[in-house]
Formats: sequence, C-alpha cells, structure tokens
Amino acid sequence: MIEARELCKTFKDKKRGEVKAVDSVSFFCKAGEVFGLLGPNGAGKTTTLRMLSTALKPTSGTATISGIDVAENPAKVRSQIGFLSGNTGLYGRLTAREMVSYFGKLYGMSRQDIEDRSKKLFDMLEMNDFADARNDKLSTGMKQKVSIARSVVHDPPVMVFDEPTTGLDVMSSRTIVEFIHQCRNDGKCVIFSTHIMSEAMRLCNRVGIIHQGRLYAEGTPQELLEKTSTGSLEDAFIKIVEE
Amino acid sequence: MRMRTVHTIFMKEMKDTLRDRRTLIFMIAVPIVAIPILMMGLSSLMVSQIEKVQEEKSVVVIQGMGNLPPDLKDILVSAEEISAKSETEFGGGDVQEQLKAGAIDALVVIPEYFSQAIESESTTEIEIYYDEAEFSSEFALGKVRDLLSEYSDRVVETRLVLREMSQDVINPFDVSSYNVAPTQKVAGEKIGGFLPYIVIIMCFMGAMYPAIDLAAGEKERGTLETLLVSPASRGEFVMGKYFVILVTGIVAALLSMASLTFSLNYMAGEMTKLATQALAIEFDFTTVILILMIVLPLAGIFAATLLSLSIFARSFKEAQSYITALNMLILFPAVISLLPGIELDYGLSLIPVVNVTLIIKQAIGGEINWNYVVVAFVSTNFLAAITLFFAKKWFEKESVLFRM
Repeated sequence: MIEARELCKTFKDKKRGEVKAVDSVSFFCKAGEVFGLLGPNGAGKTTTLRMLSTALKPTSGTATISGIDVAENPAKVRSQIGFLSGNTGLYGRLTAREMVSYFGKLYGMSRQDIEDRSKKLFDMLEMNDFADARNDKLSTGMKQKVSIARSVVHDPPVMVFDEPTTGLDVMSSRTIVEFIHQCRNDGKCVIFSTHIMSEAMRLCNRVGIIHQGRLYAEGTPQELLEKTSTGSLEDAFIKIVEE
Repeated sequence: MRMRTVHTIFMKEMKDTLRDRRTLIFMIAVPIVAIPILMMGLSSLMVSQIEKVQEEKSVVVIQGMGNLPPDLKDILVSAEEISAKSETEFGGGDVQEQLKAGAIDALVVIPEYFSQAIESESTTEIEIYYDEAEFSSEFALGKVRDLLSEYSDRVVETRLVLREMSQDVINPFDVSSYNVAPTQKVAGEKIGGFLPYIVIIMCFMGAMYPAIDLAAGEKERGTLETLLVSPASRGEFVMGKYFVILVTGIVAALLSMASLTFSLNYMAGEMTKLATQALAIEFDFTTVILILMIVLPLAGIFAATLLSLSIFARSFKEAQSYITALNMLILFPAVISLLPGIELDYGLSLIPVVNVTLIIKQAIGGEINWNYVVVAFVSTNFLAAITLFFAKKWFEKESVLFRM
C-alpha cells in the first residue's frame, strides 16, 4: 500500500549549504500492517513522512500510496491518507463538529456522508458530550480525540502518524496508541514515526531504523534483535547505527 | 481551481474570523464607535477651548501708562475684551519675565512724549510684546492692535477735519475680494486629506488580524500541515483566505468612511458656531462609486501583501512585527495627502495609496478628473493582481511553508 523507492530530499541552508535530510530511503508497508520509522530527532523521519503525504516534493526517487505516485497525482494521494502528528493543533474558535465537517468538505464528501460519519466517529470516540463546544475550551485528551476524528473523517485506507505521542500526557498517548491498534485491526496501512523505542516495540509489525537521513536496517523488531544479538530495541538501534 | 472548495474554505475562515474578538474590534468597533467618539470629543473640546480663550479677558500690562493721551487711556482701560493695567497696578516685578511665564498675555510699551508726538503730528511707535506659542497671547495681540488702530483712525479723522479735507484723500480706492470656491471645495482642501488617511489606515487595520490568523496562525497552531495534506490545492487555500481578508478590509474601510462622514459633518457644524465657513461634506452617488472603485483594489493589494507576509512568518509574533513595519510604509504615503499644495498628476496617480488619498481629497472637494481616476484604477488593479499572484507562488514554496 505504501512503497518508497530511493526517496531523497535536500534542503538549501544558508549556513550549511545543501543538506541531505533524506538520503535514498526505501521501504514498504502493506494493508493491516504498522510500519515504524525509528530514529532520533533530526534523523529525517518527519521529512520522509511529509514526502509520503505530499506536503513536500521528493528531490529524487519516488513513492506510491495505493499504487498512486506522490509526485504525479498528489491530489489523489491526499484523498487516500489520514495525517496526524503530535503538534497538530485545532481551530480554537470552531467546535469539533464544525472542524470535522470542514475537513469532510475539503475531502469532497457530501453533507449526508459527513453527518453519518461524524455520528459514527463521535460515538466511537465518546465525543458526544463536547462535540458542540469550542475547541479551545476542551481538555488535552478531548482535543486529541477531535484531532483523531478530523484525521479519519474520509475513512482513508492509509494512515500517517508523525511522532503522534510527542508532548502528550499519559492518558492522551494511550488514546492515540489504542487508535493506532484500531486502525491496524480495521485493515488500514499505518506508518508512524517515533523516537520512543518501547512504543515502536509495542505497536509495530516492522520497523525501519533511520539516522542522518539514511535507513540503516529494516525488519520485524524480533529480527532486528536477533540480527544484533541484543535484548532491547534501544541497544539494537545503537549497535546498528554505530556499525 | 474549484469554486466549491474555495467557497468551503472562505465560509470556514469567515466563521472563524467573525468569532475572533480582535478582528471584530478593528473591523467594526473602531470604525463605528471609536472614530465618532474621538472626532466628536475632539471637536467639542476644541470649540469649547477656543470659546473660552475668546471670552476670557486678556491681561495686558501697559508700560508708561502716564504717557498716553487721556482719550486713548480711556479706550484701553474701559475696553471689555482686555483688562489693561499699569505696571504698578499689576504689582511690579520683571514684566518681560511675567509675559514669558504666561502671567501676562501681552505687554504694551508706550514711549515717553507719546501724547506730545501725537499732538505735534510727528510719528512715534508703540511696542507690543507677546508670546506666539501661546494661543491666549496671540488673541491678546489681536485685541490690542484692534483697539489701537481704532484710535489711530480717529486721530487721522480729526486731523483731516481740521484741514477741511475729505476721508477720500487718504483712501484712493477700496479692494474687495470674493471667494468663488463652493463650500465643498473648501471642505476638500481643509479636511479632505484627513478622511482618506483614516479610511486607508482602517482598511489596513481591519485586514491585519485576520491575515495574521489565517496564515501565520495556521503555522503556530500546527494546522497548516493538515491543510497541505488535504485534497484542496494551495491555490484554493490562497483564494479562500484572500477573500476573507479582502472582505474584512473592505468592511472596515466602508464603515469608517460612513462614520467619518457623519462625524466630520458634526464637526463642521460645531465649527460653524465659531462663525467660520460652513464645511459641509456631502457625498453624492458618483463620489461614493468613485471612492469604492479605487478603495476596493487597494484593499486587494493590502490583503495579498498581508497574506504573503503572514505565510512567510514562522509565528504570530513574527507576522505582527513584519506587519507593523509595513504599516509604517503605508502611513508615509497616506500622510502626503495631508500636505498642503500637493496636486494629483499622472506620475502620482501611478503610486498606490498616494493616488487613492489624493483622488478622495479631490472628490470631496467636488472636483473629479476622470483621467487620473482611470490611471489610478488600472495601476492599483494591476498591482493587486501582481501581489495576489505573488501570494499564490509564496504559498506553493516549500521553503516558505516549512521555514526553519
């Protein structure tokens, strides 16, 4: 469902000249699978995910989502993915219902579809009590649910999570982790990035280790542990990067 | 570009903007509440101050009171508009210093042998000291001059009668001047520069907060990325957001124009109490259409420029500082219309803001030169299109959207 082939992204920086943020990264992720991009801050995780979600154009290489090329048909790709990151905010002066409906319209859904989908999502996420309150009046946990509902209003087959739990408290992170599980069980193709090894261990079917823009290793968590003969993903990460 | 998506974005942003208190203050409250209160308050204060100064007796000290002929002394002492005192009556001290300190409004110095000089028909001089920086002192000068010239006329008259000559000998002809300008033109010249100045500033201010919120605000809230990965194109976002900023700017401009007309007319009414010219500002239909025609594209330039700056900024605060700098850039040409003697020509009608202010000034004065209007209209629209095109390009640049 997601396939990245030799993805590269270079930025021009005034001080450092050309910077390779992502350097020939290739991987794939199938439906019903969770793929984790694992790496420290500045490793190129966010840039990779932004290229997959068409926010950035790859400098070279390609990626396809449900078989559609991100460079050739970005609009079509966007309708296939749901995107959520840890820093994603809300429109404080809108309500959850208005927010979900706005994104539904942007995704070209009909009024009836939006209404049905909102009802289903609000029931599922237990949001009915605060669906008509302004977002800036909500607690962090409630806000997180609004963000989730917004990201899946169009029921996308592919989900992209960029450091989804960064900066969240325990309860809100739990909501997100459960949601990722749910997505996998629904047969969606899920890719997510994190620098928290335990989270990756718990959630991912397969992980890719990324450092300084390059993908160093890829496989199931178990495979990586065996390959490096270490006991934790953290040790495995260090060993792989050092080699 | 799909109109339906642009409409969706426009409706959402409009709803969001209208729930923002800061926007509402600048777009609606300032034009229809603050401007009239300020202007009316200011004019009432001014009128009452002037009346107070006019009614107050000016304190005039006369140095060498004893040198005055009795009839002139009588005129000065009994005059109602001044209270004339000799140095000793006033209480002594350095009168020059007292004048500087503001205790005296004017100091009149009568030379020794003044009465003798009048009698012997040789010329002499009276000195008046006053403080030009003081309103009341200038008034005192005028009052004393009037009293003295009245006396001087009487002396001349007596001398002519003595010589059995007619008044006409010293007055070969009269000069009369007639004002042909309609009161409207006088109004245009006197306060016409002021109105466009405020309208333009308000148009800018009204659009400012929505512009910051709609682009830099998206970055700050972390909602920009969710928009970029939605199927709506970047051009559609630019258009949707642009129209919201445009509308708020136009609404602010129209409201402030209406309330300014109202309060300037009120001010003019107040001024008439002072027996100066009536300064009625009346807008006929053509003037309104004309002002709309040139303010609308200007609002377009503002909206696109504000949007570009805002999307370039990394945060709300950064956007605010860019826009404050831009505000200065707009104030400067707007001030030009306040300068006396600046006339619209083809060169000036190409320059945005300057052309609009000068055309409005002319229009209020009842004079419209349509050639300049057309040049200004075309050039402002052209610039509006360029700035909008630039805003769109800016929105499509990764280095602007994800500026580090």
